[in-house]
Amino acid sequence: MAALANLQLPTRRYALGVSLPGEALKYFRYWILAAVAISFLGPLALSRYNDIDLSTWFYTANVAKWFTAFIGGGFLAVLVPNMIAVGLTRRELSVSMGIFGLLWSLSLGAVVFAGIALERAYYHAMGWSQGIDANDVVAPIGSWSETLGFAAVYPLVYLVYFTAGALIGAASYRWEGTGWLLLVPVIPIVFSLDNALYNTEPFGPGWAGFLGGFIDDWGRGVVLAGIALVLAGLALATHRILTDIPLRSKKA
Amino acid sequence: MSFTVNLRDVTLKYGDSDALADVDLTLEAGKIYGLLGRNGAGKTSLLSLIAAFRKPTTGQILVGGEPVWENAPIVSRVALIREGGDFDDSDYVKAAIETGQIRPGFDTDYAYKLADRFELPLKKRVRELSRGKRSTLAAVCGLAARAELTMFDEVHLGMDAPTRDAFYKELLAEYMDRQHTVILSTHLIDEVANYLEEVVIVDRGRILRHEDVETFQGMGATLTGQADAVDAVAAGLEVLAEQRLGGTKSVTVATRLDAPTRERAAAAGIEIGPVGLQDLFIHLTEPGKNGA
Repeated sequence: MAALANLQLPTRRYALGVSLPGEALKYFRYWILAAVAISFLGPLALSRYNDIDLSTWFYTANVAKWFTAFIGGGFLAVLVPNMIAVGLTRRELSVSMGIFGLLWSLSLGAVVFAGIALERAYYHAMGWSQGIDANDVVAPIGSWSETLGFAAVYPLVYLVYFTAGALIGAASYRWEGTGWLLLVPVIPIVFSLDNALYNTEPFGPGWAGFLGGFIDDWGRGVVLAGIALVLAGLALATHRILTDIPLRSKKA
Repeated sequence: MSFTVNLRDVTLKYGDSDALADVDLTLEAGKIYGLLGRNGAGKTSLLSLIAAFRKPTTGQILVGGEPVWENAPIVSRVALIREGGDFDDSDYVKAAIETGQIRPGFDTDYAYKLADRFELPLKKRVRELSRGKRSTLAAVCGLAARAELTMFDEVHLGMDAPTRDAFYKELLAEYMDRQHTVILSTHLIDEVANYLEEVVIVDRGRILRHEDVETFQGMGATLTGQADAVDAVAAGLEVLAEQRLGGTKSVTVATRLDAPTRERAAAAGIEIGPVGLQDLFIHLTEPGKNGA
């Protein structure tokens, strides 16, 4: 991590948090470039055989949610032994991960926002319809303002997925062998709220959206408030687990 | 400045079993300590607690006079290097070294100088390194941490003899240059014995002995001379080890020699030397011994 040179003790947690999105981007740059390329070139190839009426970016944005959860969990599980061994405290790491999650989600959200907006112009130019799969019906995303409103909540959604991933990552490291069981309460809650927000077919394990039946009728504002509340709960739980975490013994 | 270490009534449990029990230990600042113990005795657990890698079940741990747990100004100047290091295996060696820069005192130039000296391939990934090179990388990061308390836990594993020798020399040079507290946990006792000032022996989760090296060496003696003469003097003493080459015999005894015995040995042309630390360690931690 070349960006860490000349760190000062009181501010190193922030410097680390700011450097991590760059590290993640560097590590996954080819995957990300491939996803962007497929999102724009895929419809072009498919248009030779089919009518295009679904937003490819919608799928890319959905895949990015699971990718973001993986980043949150994977990075945390790797950073816990790595950073504590070089003299970082758990609280400092918790702050760094918070900054990482925030910056990552904002950046990815901005890319997806720009992608959906660009795609709208692109589809319009090609005479295609930019829609989403909404409960077995293809529904156009709508006007420019509706499109931008649709894309604007992605940073928040990514942040909740990142935090959920971080929680699972922390629990899996803390309770080797059983920590991953936290998936059981976390996935249905996050997944159902996410599906309620977009009122679409579940994108991922369909069974995990079973709570959707209870929250489908909530208004968008209430769902967003619910997501914010769940986000706060996940962040608090991750912090609590992380600040007490022991380093595992080395295996021979 | 270098750090003192104080453990007060420290117990660490894994489930129902005690990894460490009622440990009281004080280490003065600015010395090189050897931490010895059989496999599973509790050495790694003890070091993990001192480095705040884990929390004790009960008791208090002070480093530099302050509680070590979640204390950034302290843990940033404490380095525990475990066998093979705690690296992200997907990192390049260069990046793994640079991760040390989280410590404000980390000396990157020194790290690169050592990496060059120990022929570490900076452009390889950590997972591609041999066990020996990985251990060397860990040792390099530990030295370059320029910590006030540096602990090496079996870091030599996998290193070949010349690399180990170079590492010990570098460790000593760094210690002479910048006095700090060093703890070496190792099974290669005789290899490091000359570097140690004090020795702590851990046995079955408890501190069995904590003495300076001279005291340990005075706990016994090595008698070397004509086999018959040596046997005569060693008769009735507790023999730890013996070697014979032709008519010459060397016997290590775990008994402090009194003046008459010394005189008898001298008269018989027997040379009296200090006891080997390793022989004494084996004797003290023998199953069935209570360490007294």
